[in-house]
Amino acid sequence: MRSGSRHAAYWLVVLPAVLMLVLLYFVPLGNVLLTSVTDPKPGLQNYGLLFTSASVQRSLLTTLRIAAITTAVALLLGYGVAYAMRAASTRTQRLMLVLVLLPFWISILVRSFAWIALLGTQGPVNSALVAWGLVDEPVSLVRNETGVLIGMIHVMVPYAVLTLYANMRGIDVGLVAAARSLGASRFQAFRLVFLPLTAPGLIGAGMLVFILSLGFYITPALLGGGKVLMIAEYVAVQINDTLRWGLGTMLAATLMIAVLGTLWALSRVVDVKRLFGT
Amino acid sequence: MNRLEPSGLVAAFAWMVLSFLALPAFAVIPVSFTDTRYLAMPQEHLSLQHWKAFLASPEWLGSIWQSLWIAVVSTVAAVVAGTLCAIGCWRIASDLSDKVRGAMILPMAVPTIVYALGLYRLYVDLDLVGSALGVVLAHSVTGLPYVVLAVSASLANLDPRLEQAARGLGASIGQTLRHVILPNIVPGVLSGAIFAFIHSWDELVVVIFIGGRALFTLPRRMWDGINDNLDPVIAVVATGMILFTLLVLTAELSLRARRPR
Amino acid sequence: MNGTSSEPLVRFIDVRKSYDGKVDAVRGLNLEVANGEFLTLLGPSGSGKTTTLTMLAGFEQPSAGRIFVGAEDITNVAVEKRGIGMVFQNYALFPNMTVGENIGFPLKVRRLPTAEIADKVTRALAMVRLEGLADRRPQQLSGGQQQRVAVARALVFEPRLVLLDEPLGALDRQLREQMQYELKHLHARLGITMIYVTHDQVEAMTMSDRVAVFNAGRLCQVAEPRLLYEQPDSLFVAQFLGESNTLPGTVRQRHGGQCSVALANGAGVIATTVGVGDKVNVAIRPEKVAVGPAAATCVNRYPAKVIEISFLGDQLRVRLAALGREDFIVKFANAPDQVMLAPGNPVEIGWRAEDCRALGE
Repeated sequence: MRSGSRHAAYWLVVLPAVLMLVLLYFVPLGNVLLTSVTDPKPGLQNYGLLFTSASVQRSLLTTLRIAAITTAVALLLGYGVAYAMRAASTRTQRLMLVLVLLPFWISILVRSFAWIALLGTQGPVNSALVAWGLVDEPVSLVRNETGVLIGMIHVMVPYAVLTLYANMRGIDVGLVAAARSLGASRFQAFRLVFLPLTAPGLIGAGMLVFILSLGFYITPALLGGGKVLMIAEYVAVQINDTLRWGLGTMLAATLMIAVLGTLWALSRVVDVKRLFGT
Repeated sequence: MNRLEPSGLVAAFAWMVLSFLALPAFAVIPVSFTDTRYLAMPQEHLSLQHWKAFLASPEWLGSIWQSLWIAVVSTVAAVVAGTLCAIGCWRIASDLSDKVRGAMILPMAVPTIVYALGLYRLYVDLDLVGSALGVVLAHSVTGLPYVVLAVSASLANLDPRLEQAARGLGASIGQTLRHVILPNIVPGVLSGAIFAFIHSWDELVVVIFIGGRALFTLPRRMWDGINDNLDPVIAVVATGMILFTLLVLTAELSLRARRPR
Repeated sequence: MNGTSSEPLVRFIDVRKSYDGKVDAVRGLNLEVANGEFLTLLGPSGSGKTTTLTMLAGFEQPSAGRIFVGAEDITNVAVEKRGIGMVFQNYALFPNMTVGENIGFPLKVRRLPTAEIADKVTRALAMVRLEGLADRRPQQLSGGQQQRVAVARALVFEPRLVLLDEPLGALDRQLREQMQYELKHLHARLGITMIYVTHDQVEAMTMSDRVAVFNAGRLCQVAEPRLLYEQPDSLFVAQFLGESNTLPGTVRQRHGGQCSVALANGAGVIATTVGVGDKVNVAIRPEKVAVGPAAATCVNRYPAKVIEISFLGDQLRVRLAALGREDFIVKFANAPDQVMLAPGNPVEIGWRAEDCRALGE
């Protein structure tokens, strides 16, 4: 069935998308790489700034720190939800799934804006905290790193839940019952049998959330008040304000390579074809 | 015995997290009815002042219109190219076609800021900065992954021998596509179309860079609004966007319910 | 047997279980399990046998009634504190641990010293003839080997009782028969009380000291296999275990342990009395029916006509028209001196009163 002419016809059908991808996607990406080594002068000086520029390193550190905290908290929250989903009846599972997927459908811009409305000094969260006597005066929850973390964790938890849940679905719950019958307490059965089996899910979810967090722009930009410069925003500032294309494209290229590299490592562990259903 | 039994604490924790996920976005709804002139919950009574301001504003309405038709055109382009690509790769089923299909997902994987930078440089050269055409082209490409994923999932349930049977009976590729393949993957195509549409409708980062001085889609106008002054009209826009996407979500769910499984 | 004390080890007292409050999965269960016996819970799916087992294991709570193990009321005791070993249908071996770690697991959660754990694991492996496989992963073993690891794991902590939930279901016939033998052998060696669940009556009869037959949530009868087969107390048991010809009728007279039953077609049968009702089903096993000259001395004698003969290698199975029906089955061994039969032949069939039983509904 592999007649050349038959396949040639189908390759033609694939062509438009490929052309679009190459001309309108790969070319711009290539442009970024090229600019990073040609602007202002040919060479790798821009990349040297990764090691010499204090403000670049500050931004990298901020990015890594926020991505790490976001990942850790999102995994913790996501694990609890995924575990409860795994244990729930089919109907409750569906309800929980709808609640998890709901934020996906609301644009990140709207969600970040909602957090601004909620976390302001005169907003409902602070009003509640003061009214319940938990604090004496409104806490600064937005336009700083706290706000960025809250916003990003909110975006990332659904990704963590879905990845962890997919992994947990494949775990035979009878194993926990077997452990109990052998004398393990509920917590022992969880710690010694269930938790180790979710390790691949935790790794997958952690990597996914981490690499998504690295490249985030909108949420940290809106909730950080210009004081929390993650890489994406830092790049935007370099381009828009100071026109330092060399530095900007270098950072963008570094970000792209880091993300693609981690994804490639992830693909060695996860079967990518399953994504497409085959 | 084939059930997990989480403790009450874990269940309570899970539901708290779920509330944390689902509720905050809806905070914009009461804010849109605020009687204050600044961003806050309604203090004394509900007011429609900001809704009126929104509906009377040519800029906001213009942005809606612009977002709408850009989304429609780019969705059509993404759906056509993406569907054909998914079908082609499914039929060829070689290592190379699998790699091509994998490459189609890249726009989802690579951080948008990187793409926006490169695209800006390209558009400066092509004089497309600030043009709606430029945005349509960009969203067509970034919408591809959604279509390819959705259509591929639909194709996975389709017996490849159907296509072989049709070809064996004398049908050309065009006829096979039209009469045999497409009718069976309509739910996947529609699903992909909906996702691509929502993606373009919400897309912001690319538009910020290539929008120039004059192109203000709805998200971009919101973005500027938030960064300049926190006018509660933005809450109205946000509420509208939530209602709109929930409408589309309901459509997608009812579509999925009717899909034969 | 190896029963040391005469006190039963397990007692179910008036146990009832309902999952949804409407339908009882198990009701009116009163059952005693002797110390050291091999008891099988037998019945079709949904009969309540598995529910009974899970209640004993502790994964479900009875809706009413109590369960005792020894002198202890374990009705509300948590699973992990019951000290009952269990072998699951799909083995439930932990994939993230080696065979040795699987078997050592119950010892580890009981905080035994490492050296002692290693020693017990080695001996458990030897007991199921899997020496040297301690470092393998369960996924690397065959089905039969996995099953033996599951058994070793359930026994290593010396529980007072072992439950087996259809453990041989996934094995092919030859392996299953071999494992039946091994389990029985293990039981004889260790003397540990075993409660086994299966829907396969041959398995039940082969392995058990006693069989408890369940139907629709009720315990129908519990007895040694031979007794159960020869003297079923209910129509269900007579038909579930082996085959029976059943003839509905009404009791006309009783005398001693026997009764005269009038069948629907007017014929009379002398049968062994079981129960007190007058509307009965007379059950007679196909292999207890004599055909031809041998029938002449039977108290129950009837004319019949051969309809169909099936040759099954070691036995012959004959369908006859008799007593107003067309599905009367007779079975006999393919012996050299057997009377020759052909379809359409008229013959006489007969059986003893001791061999047929007047059962209730």
